[in-house]
Amino acid sequence: MSATAPAFTAGDYKTDLKPVWCAGCGDFGVLTAVYRAMAELQWNPWETVVVSGIGCSSRLPGYVATYGFNGIHGRALTIATGVKVSRPELHVVAVGGDGDGLAIGGNHFLHSCRRNLDVTYVLMDNEIYGLTKGQAAPTTPSGDKTKSTYYGNPEPSFDPCELALSVGATWVGRAFSGDVKGTVDLMAKAFAHKGFAFLNVMSPCVTWRGDDQFKAFKAKARPIPETHDRTSRAAALAFTRETDIMSCGILYEVKVPSLIDRLTEMKERARAKQTKEPTTDDIVRSFLPKL
Amino acid sequence: MPSSELTLGIVGSGGDGVITVGDIVSQAAAFEGLNVIKTEAYGPQIRGGESSCNVRIAVKHIEAQADRVDVLVVFNWADYGRFKGEMVPGDDAIILYEASDPTPPPEGIAPKAQRIAVPYVQIATDAAGTKAAKNIVTLGILAGLFNVPVDAMRAAISKKFSGKKAGLLEANVKGFEAGIAFAKTLGTIGDAKRLEYTKGAPKVILSGNEACAIAAVHAGCRFFAGYPITPSSEVLHFLSEWLPRVGGSVVQTEDELSAIGAVVGASFAGVKSMTSTSGPGLSLMTETLGLSAMAEVPAVVGNVQRGRPSTGLPTKTEQSDLFQGVFAGHGDQPRVVLSAEDVETCFHATVDAFNIAEEYQIPVIVLADQAIAQRRETVSPETFKHAVIDRRVPKPEEMAPYQRYKDTADGVSPMSYPGIKGAIYQTNGLEHDENGRPGSMHLLHEKMSAKRYRKLRPIRDKYHDFYRMGPEKADLGILCWGSSKGPVKEAVEAANAAGAKVAAFAPKVLYPFPKAQFLDFQHSVKRILVIEISFAAQFYKYIRTFMDLPEEKVKIFARSGGKNLTVPEVAEQIRKALSQMSHEEVLI
Repeated sequence: MSATAPAFTAGDYKTDLKPVWCAGCGDFGVLTAVYRAMAELQWNPWETVVVSGIGCSSRLPGYVATYGFNGIHGRALTIATGVKVSRPELHVVAVGGDGDGLAIGGNHFLHSCRRNLDVTYVLMDNEIYGLTKGQAAPTTPSGDKTKSTYYGNPEPSFDPCELALSVGATWVGRAFSGDVKGTVDLMAKAFAHKGFAFLNVMSPCVTWRGDDQFKAFKAKARPIPETHDRTSRAAALAFTRETDIMSCGILYEVKVPSLIDRLTEMKERARAKQTKEPTTDDIVRSFLPKL
Repeated sequence: MPSSELTLGIVGSGGDGVITVGDIVSQAAAFEGLNVIKTEAYGPQIRGGESSCNVRIAVKHIEAQADRVDVLVVFNWADYGRFKGEMVPGDDAIILYEASDPTPPPEGIAPKAQRIAVPYVQIATDAAGTKAAKNIVTLGILAGLFNVPVDAMRAAISKKFSGKKAGLLEANVKGFEAGIAFAKTLGTIGDAKRLEYTKGAPKVILSGNEACAIAAVHAGCRFFAGYPITPSSEVLHFLSEWLPRVGGSVVQTEDELSAIGAVVGASFAGVKSMTSTSGPGLSLMTETLGLSAMAEVPAVVGNVQRGRPSTGLPTKTEQSDLFQGVFAGHGDQPRVVLSAEDVETCFHATVDAFNIAEEYQIPVIVLADQAIAQRRETVSPETFKHAVIDRRVPKPEEMAPYQRYKDTADGVSPMSYPGIKGAIYQTNGLEHDENGRPGSMHLLHEKMSAKRYRKLRPIRDKYHDFYRMGPEKADLGILCWGSSKGPVKEAVEAANAAGAKVAAFAPKVLYPFPKAQFLDFQHSVKRILVIEISFAAQFYKYIRTFMDLPEEKVKIFARSGGKNLTVPEVAEQIRKALSQMSHEEVLI
């Protein structure tokens, strides 16, 4: 379809819709990274689909000039599953926030990792619910005072990268949206991965977490050492649940058959047994009495 | 006594081979071109435990399970006790019970029926060398006494056991012949019904769920996502085998939220897709059905109703998801709800569902119920024909520029999909303008709501089929829907044959409500009787949402599920309703 693919610049992936985000929102950095990473891979916009759920960050598909679907709360990965499985040749990216992906949509996250669904999932993690105006999320540190935790967050948080690693994601990375160049680099690698690629982008919320969050992320961010063995889940887990530092880079990367690979193999196996594609009549006649 | 119809009931424990008896009898009858409806029932055990099978065989087309059995095979009276209320022998029935069963029969079962002690275990052990062959012995007896097709059963037994363990086929053939020989020793039994028929072309025998799955493949569905749930899982099972064979895919999702999300995703990607579920699953899918309506993405959902609410009666039927099917969801959202009445219409309703979903970019729900989804029924293989409609994609002149939600005369705007270069769009569940851009202005919401609802008009104009039974003018008119249509039809035919003037109406499209057709029927009858399997009379209330049903002219028979509607039940309601009419009224 794209034998003579034209060269796309980052700007070609931009729609004329103005983001609704607050000035200084970390998601601007992520959006820029999406444009640049797509340009780096020269993805045909008409063969690319960006899917999301609900939340500030889930508005992103409206700003990307590919096919896009801003769905409903928590269900981005379910829609992405349908798009990718039914049309494996498409590039599919799911995006969303920590509340969308880890709370209401947590179950889909687990199972998309487990299936090794061949999509990239970009989680914009600001450790807060932004669109609903400042309630605690599964990633909000314990003890933090938010709109819904008047006396401080009584619940522990979890690290989405640790979760992804433990349930079968085959590519796991962490980025800081304040480092756009680093985010572009990681995102392009996540996009290119065959299998479930999970990129957790620490994306500050200036409105509900103040300037402190941005400053803290910036101060804690540091690259994962070159010596890290990315094929070792145990080694990758060492970069999760960090408190004083925020390791950015590829935590884990392995090549195993994706859900698409397995389904494709099954289709081939199913069809190898038949000389022609069954018609409705062939299927109906399989219900004739077996005498 | 020669008979054009015969109903068999078989009861036993796991290991008795009850289900095999039912399978072979029904396959043999279907092979001979007879009409068959077969149902099975089990105890609550996952495996083993009591099981029963009911097979109705008839020369004429049949619409319902029989209420009384002509022949009852009991391997164990204790097991029978658990099905006592559901498998009732008729007054002239013949009961063939295991001679060595020490348990006495429960009291009060058809006192006039003939009871014959049959040494099933002994015959099987003597002839086949194993008591496990007693079900095959039973087949021989049924052939001998009631003329259940003997050659076809012999062929079915041969097919079932050939290629298995050495000696197994021979042993079972001996068991079968010993059964026939035993029947001869009984001589002619009083009024025993003997099937009399002319052999016809073989029919296929399948369940409503399987018919629905075939319809999906026929309609061009190439993506199915589903979560297991009784009584609809067979659709998932069937498609997991057949969709890959036609190049499609099946995903068993982590829940129903995911199943419908994936269906909407695949449909957005341009691939016809569906899911199938039951009430509890439909509850979880409700929010995404709203997305399908808002973003105008086709979605087909098969919903097999079961006893409710909550977990309810997972294995038994009810017609109480009507409100849910039509109304569930937040906000004003157009959708289409179709009904299936038997196995064959599970096929046609599902193809229609795809056609409507694709042509009008709207969610479509097919409401079936356990009574038809899980029973096996004979259908002529020739009936699986139904025209298929595909989605309208934008023409080149509609791409400069492309407006995904262009406000058209019929509300339908051409729908692009990924891969089409000149018609890229971003969509959402937010209110949006003709380009799909989010907006929250009242005027925009009013305009786009009108656009989405406008699609219902052409749908109603094109899809308003119904069943009309009985004379053109009648004293009594029955309103019913779904699986109730079968028993109602048989009861209406019997009532009219006995001189009454009774008509019946069942819509095939529940929403958009076919008001003109309902009104025509209402005007053609003097009184109305509403019959449904919903304790809260959902169908009656549903009709009243759209039209007046004068209370003085309407009777309601609404009961809870857990038991299929039966012909005698309907006949009794017809009798009551007619007797409540004044003498003069009936004569007018």
